[in-house]
Amino acid sequence: MRTLMYLPEHYEFFCPVKINSGNKALEQLPFELDALNARKPLVIVGKDGSGRGLVDVIIDAFKDSNVTIGIFEGVPSAPDLKLIRDLFNIYRGRGHDAIIAIGGGPAADTAKALNIAVSGKPEDIEGCAGDDHVKEPLKPLIIVPTLAGTGYEVSKYAFFDGKNYASHFLMPNLVVIDPRMTIPEDTVTTIATALIALTHAVETYTGSGKNPLADAYAYTAIQLIMENLANVIGDQQDGNGRLSLANAHAMAGCAFSNVALGVAHNLGKVMGDMCHVPPGLCMGMLLPRVLEKQMSEGGYHISDLLLPLAGFDAYANMVEDLRARRAVDILHDLLKGISVANGGAISRLWKDAQLSEDTLQNIAQIAVGNGAIFDMEGCMKILREAKEGK
Amino acid sequence: MRNFKEVTPGKKSLKKCYVAAMMWFMGRAIQASAAVDKSVRKEFVDMPDEFTFALSVMPKGPHMIIAKDQRGFVRYSGWDPEGKKIDLYMKIKNIEAAVLIFTFQESTVVATARDRLVVDGEVAHACAIVRILDVVEVYLLPKIIAKLAVKRYPDWSFRRKYLGRVLIYIRCIFGF
Amino acid sequence: MDMPGYYEFCCRVKIISGHNALEKIPGTLAQLNAGRPMIVTDKGVVSAGLIDIVIDAISSSVNIAAIADDVPPDSDLRIVNSLSRLYREKGCDSLIAVGGGSVMDTAKGINIIVSEKADDLMPFSGANALKRALRPLIAIPTTAGTGSEVTVVAVIKDHERHLKMAFVSNFLMPDASIVDSRMTLTLPPVITAATGMDALSHAVEAYTCLAKNPLSDAHALAAIRLIRDNLIKVTVNPGDKKGRLGMASAATLAGIAFGNSMVGMVHTLGHSVGSVCGVPHGACMAILLPYGLEYNMHKSGHLTAELLLPMAGALVYAATPKAERAQTVIALIRRMNQDLYEATGGRHARFFKEALGRDGKEMVPKEKLTAISEAALKDGSIYYNPEDLDYNDFLMVMEAAWEGRPLDTGLIKKG
Repeated sequence: MRTLMYLPEHYEFFCPVKINSGNKALEQLPFELDALNARKPLVIVGKDGSGRGLVDVIIDAFKDSNVTIGIFEGVPSAPDLKLIRDLFNIYRGRGHDAIIAIGGGPAADTAKALNIAVSGKPEDIEGCAGDDHVKEPLKPLIIVPTLAGTGYEVSKYAFFDGKNYASHFLMPNLVVIDPRMTIPEDTVTTIATALIALTHAVETYTGSGKNPLADAYAYTAIQLIMENLANVIGDQQDGNGRLSLANAHAMAGCAFSNVALGVAHNLGKVMGDMCHVPPGLCMGMLLPRVLEKQMSEGGYHISDLLLPLAGFDAYANMVEDLRARRAVDILHDLLKGISVANGGAISRLWKDAQLSEDTLQNIAQIAVGNGAIFDMEGCMKILREAKEGK
Repeated sequence: MRNFKEVTPGKKSLKKCYVAAMMWFMGRAIQASAAVDKSVRKEFVDMPDEFTFALSVMPKGPHMIIAKDQRGFVRYSGWDPEGKKIDLYMKIKNIEAAVLIFTFQESTVVATARDRLVVDGEVAHACAIVRILDVVEVYLLPKIIAKLAVKRYPDWSFRRKYLGRVLIYIRCIFGF
Repeated sequence: MDMPGYYEFCCRVKIISGHNALEKIPGTLAQLNAGRPMIVTDKGVVSAGLIDIVIDAISSSVNIAAIADDVPPDSDLRIVNSLSRLYREKGCDSLIAVGGGSVMDTAKGINIIVSEKADDLMPFSGANALKRALRPLIAIPTTAGTGSEVTVVAVIKDHERHLKMAFVSNFLMPDASIVDSRMTLTLPPVITAATGMDALSHAVEAYTCLAKNPLSDAHALAAIRLIRDNLIKVTVNPGDKKGRLGMASAATLAGIAFGNSMVGMVHTLGHSVGSVCGVPHGACMAILLPYGLEYNMHKSGHLTAELLLPMAGALVYAATPKAERAQTVIALIRRMNQDLYEATGGRHARFFKEALGRDGKEMVPKEKLTAISEAALKDGSIYYNPEDLDYNDFLMVMEAAWEGRPLDTGLIKKG
């Protein structure tokens, strides 16, 4: 009796993001803007986009298009409402009709907040904080990620001026992944961003909100990361590998926008904020331990995870009952490999983070308060195991 | 504002010139092939009278226009679509995509699969045009390049390929 | 996995799936600021009792302003125009399309006219002619299926001027697609089989043709697995609700896959057989699918081989040597056709010679194969097929598909 594919009795899925990826992807922008009925985009550039020739690439991509663009460089790492008001004045004053954000993080968050403002007025922004308070489609928004992006920029989430925002209407209409923009980043950043995407994709694929549509995005993201992360760490010049990772980030962003946030995400984010370690590294470290706990409890869909982690042949050759174990082992191995990469930079990071028992207690408390699925005891077990490297 | 600037990016003149030149040559080659090659002639015969087709680069050119006149003769109709009634448009979305096609980095097939083109008009005619372009490319290009440009390199007789090639080149150069 | 040099992927339709998904429509309409929908459907759907189910599910919270059930099996400009007038007369503000491909296309056509306040569809034909969002459109597919509820294309025929108008725009996509098991519960076995194989052909061609990309591949693989899990089951036991939901999800996934990666020669020939001989689309797909894979074997065989995993499961995949997997997939598809033939009492045709119309007469006489091959030359899906086909190639495939014998791969001209 073969196992049937899991299909939930009820699910909903929405992804308004179009993905354009590959050689000369940026040059399609004038055509795509026209399809969105836009003619004059305002380009917003964050720190990870400035001073690395990326703005010149954008200008070049608009050559011969008869499109005039506005470029604002220097979005700070903590943008505020004053910045939005200034940008709002530029957008309206100069007759812009679309926003293009270069890079992730603050640039994307600013773009999303600005989009709320220009689709109504700046005063609307605060009222839109929280879940699903943006109720209608906004003006055209395009994201051009770099490799420092995590997929958050594509997701329904934004963090602005100390508040969290979540709405499908915040998601960009289009994400353009161009090899000229996914230039190499330092190893720690490359690993941290890939691990965020991996965590989000895995938790989508194995969690209770699992559905075939979110799975398609999550599956592809996991596969791309597994096939390319090690190569890119070993050889920064692997352009195709970097492009693939950037694709994975975007797809993970789409996937996890459709399910509840998982435990590894919750714990990892809190840990990252508290210990000043990139959240991706925290999430990645916690992920296999979270899965171990879920495996022992049952009710999670971990055995199918082996398929994107290891490929068709490895999956098919593994006995069904052992697939979940093998999947989690692969994740443990991945992390071990990563810790020693780049001369052990990541293990040193952990040593410096000084994870005392008190710190772990705090992390667990906050995560449980935020709604993590496990209780204090469950969270502490995971945190301790991660700290000890089990 | 300090960090803000407005930019109207310029032109890609060199690339436009290259593509324009290739299109000019291709246009004349299509005209020549319609006279020399049976299969190209048949494709055009099946099209309606005064059928006009344009291959264009968005937003404003270069263009290549091919027209079938009332008597059924196929003519390269220049590079200006102004004032002409175009029945079938194949629009390349931007100059970079056109460069990829005309430097054979992406064949018509690959370019279509990669969403580089938009077809406006009857699909049946577009299929015929692609078959015509394939034949013309086999005539114009050495096998090693033509094999990249077409899906399946045809098995033609020596006479058809080489005599045809000479005739088409002569007609291209002298414009008849 | 091969990352394509360039690809695009988009599916902006909200998918709501379940045994009680219809009940989510009022909330969805409210979110879209609409409340007076016109239901667009056809007489077949009405007589199957499906419109009553829809009305029961939504009428307590939504004011159904009009119900139009005269959509013909083939989209027709006259109907689009007359229904647009009805929409305006009744003060509607949104559309609910309940049906198969023709209903979906008609609804999309109506949406263009009423949203743009136009009198004529022609100016909006082609690609990217629409510049802004249309009125809310909710799609409720009643077959599993064409996938047209998740595509950016609409095809409307103008029978007076003998034109087929194609509309391509992201704005044509429905706002939501309601995938509810009740909508396919009463689908008769022959149509279940044909529409299920249609979905399979979408997924398989999306995976093996030239515009494939990693995301559409993932959708295709999931669709194939769901079809393998459920198609025979629901053909034999139409009331299997879980199975019906599985097939409906499969059709959605397959629709998203091919909507982004296009299809190939199976559709090229299938469209031609449909237009020349009137054979239902799904029936053509079922017969032609193994032939498409055979013909393209030298170009896409390695991809076909990968499909063995979703088609047959891990045990068979692991036990089959790599070099034999593609052939095994083709054999499995032929096996599916055989199983469906038996499950439908011989009405699901395994090859064109045995395709019979309602009058019991042969639908594809051998003399028509030449006309079919001619028509195939005019179909745009051929661009995406891995190998080229000329008139003689089409004829060769049609002759084999007519008789029901495997293709002689030695006769294929390889490029």
